[in-house]
Amino acid sequence: MNARSFMTLLRRETWEHRSLVWVPLLVAVLIVVSAMLSANVTNSIEIRFDGEESEFFTRLALDTAKQSQLFAVWMSSLILPLIVVGLTVLFFYLLDALYAERKDRSILFWKSMPVSDTATVLSKAFTALVIAPVWIWLLSLAMGLMVFIVVALKVGGTPLAPLGNFHVGTWFALQLTLLLNVLIASLWYAPVAAWLLLVSAWAKRAPFLWAVLPPALLVLFEDIIFATSHAAQLFTYRLTGFFSSGFGVGEVEGRGSAEHIRESIRHASEHLSALPLLGELHLYTGLVAAAVLLYGAIRLRRWRDDA
Amino acid sequence: MTTPIIRANNLRKRYGKDSLALDGASFTIGTGRIVGLMGPNGAGKTTALKALLGLTPFEGELSVLGRDPRRERDALMQDVCFIADVAVLPKWLRVSQALDYVAGVHPRFDRGRAETVLGKTEIRQRSKVGELSKGMITQLHLALIMAIDAKLLVLDEPTIGLDLLYRRSFYEMLLNDYFDHERTILVTTHQVEEVENLLTDVLLINHGRIVLDSSIEAIATRYLQLITSGEHLSAARALRPIHEREVFGRTVFIYEDKAAGELEGLGELRTPSVSDLFVAKMSGGVQ
Repeated sequence: MNARSFMTLLRRETWEHRSLVWVPLLVAVLIVVSAMLSANVTNSIEIRFDGEESEFFTRLALDTAKQSQLFAVWMSSLILPLIVVGLTVLFFYLLDALYAERKDRSILFWKSMPVSDTATVLSKAFTALVIAPVWIWLLSLAMGLMVFIVVALKVGGTPLAPLGNFHVGTWFALQLTLLLNVLIASLWYAPVAAWLLLVSAWAKRAPFLWAVLPPALLVLFEDIIFATSHAAQLFTYRLTGFFSSGFGVGEVEGRGSAEHIRESIRHASEHLSALPLLGELHLYTGLVAAAVLLYGAIRLRRWRDDA
Repeated sequence: MTTPIIRANNLRKRYGKDSLALDGASFTIGTGRIVGLMGPNGAGKTTALKALLGLTPFEGELSVLGRDPRRERDALMQDVCFIADVAVLPKWLRVSQALDYVAGVHPRFDRGRAETVLGKTEIRQRSKVGELSKGMITQLHLALIMAIDAKLLVLDEPTIGLDLLYRRSFYEMLLNDYFDHERTILVTTHQVEEVENLLTDVLLINHGRIVLDSSIEAIATRYLQLITSGEHLSAARALRPIHEREVFGRTVFIYEDKAAGELEGLGELRTPSVSDLFVAKMSGGVQ
């Protein structure tokens, strides 16, 4: 397997699952268009910042660097709807990835080519864990800039805070952090993706149910029989741990006060990167689980004979 | 026989508890031959092909181009091409994408050649497989496969579901533009008449076993067909034919390894066709 073959396998995934490409693109375009159509873009920023920006920043006593960082975070928060949509599309992509080819028997065509099952399965995992996240990151980057331009044009050059607070260096540094986070998230969620691929390679029908029901039943039976919830905790941690452990977002004392908000912002701005997760043992146990599940998916594709 | 490209010894494959798809099948296929692997539905044809292509687990010894398809499938597929049947190209695939894909993953693919072949058809590069007729999909698949410089081409019921014109042109393309006596073609079908004139060798399989493994020339020396009636019937039966059937009031006997001299004078003697032999071997002969 050389690089050219692997690139071809990746292209193949985007041909078959075009929704991976155009659904996030569509959402990004919609966000930009709605920003254009909305007369109140600057208002919404003001609302978000709780009133007049200059006053807001003064009250919080943030320096210029912090202000531009806060603004960059606001611009980048537009990635969230893309992530939600992206995760939904990816969920169905992974369930379909090794199932559709058996259902329409095209697996016999793919298998007539000198492509190993390992390369095929890895190309699908790579599409889900690298190609799609990076595409979403690129879209959010472009979308953030476009929304910024829309905001700038609407404001018409008046020295309002959004313009004053845009700092290219800060913004770009945040984008790199975001890309890093996206890739760390991929490592964290790799066992989930691998599980979906395994189900996709195994299920004779209804891969969705096979993906969801066994973990749900495991949780249920554990609760009934042992009255414990280890499985539930394990699954919940795997699904939400990226956010809870990744950014070290802790409680800050004195909820509601200006002091509290300032502390929260300071705290958050120091925890924009998910790098702490790399020190988390669970990340690595997850990767081992992912490797085992992917190996299972490869073996199933190699020997399963139902086409 | 020339250098063998496939050696199979005692292939066994069980589906479920007591259904044997392959029950000790052994055969050898020489380089440059066009071999028909024929048998009734469920005889083990497709399972044998899947074993050769490393698509299914089985027991027994098997060597294809000197490799074991169970362990060296990825390397083997550089030299082996395979057309399962008309349905396996996915509907969403565009013709241009199919060309891009094969060009991207197959080191022996000649894209120009595939485009030349496609140029002679009505298939357009923008079309999706889902928009093509069954016959056109087969043409597309064949165009892709013919542009691959492979040593062994395996066809599993390639013309099933096609109308007569496409069936005819499929085999014509294969013979005129592809086959060159260095390649080997293995084709399975249950429509014996369709391929019997192309073949150099015949493998008949029934109940997972090879019941006939012969070149076309050898059939003429081993098998005789006697057509007779009336007073010769009991004499003909006494010579132990492997098969007997009635056609328009006359009786047709097939003999294995009998000298023509023994049968002389009993009726009309000729070499049985592959279809005749197929019927004789599959119906289990007369007991």
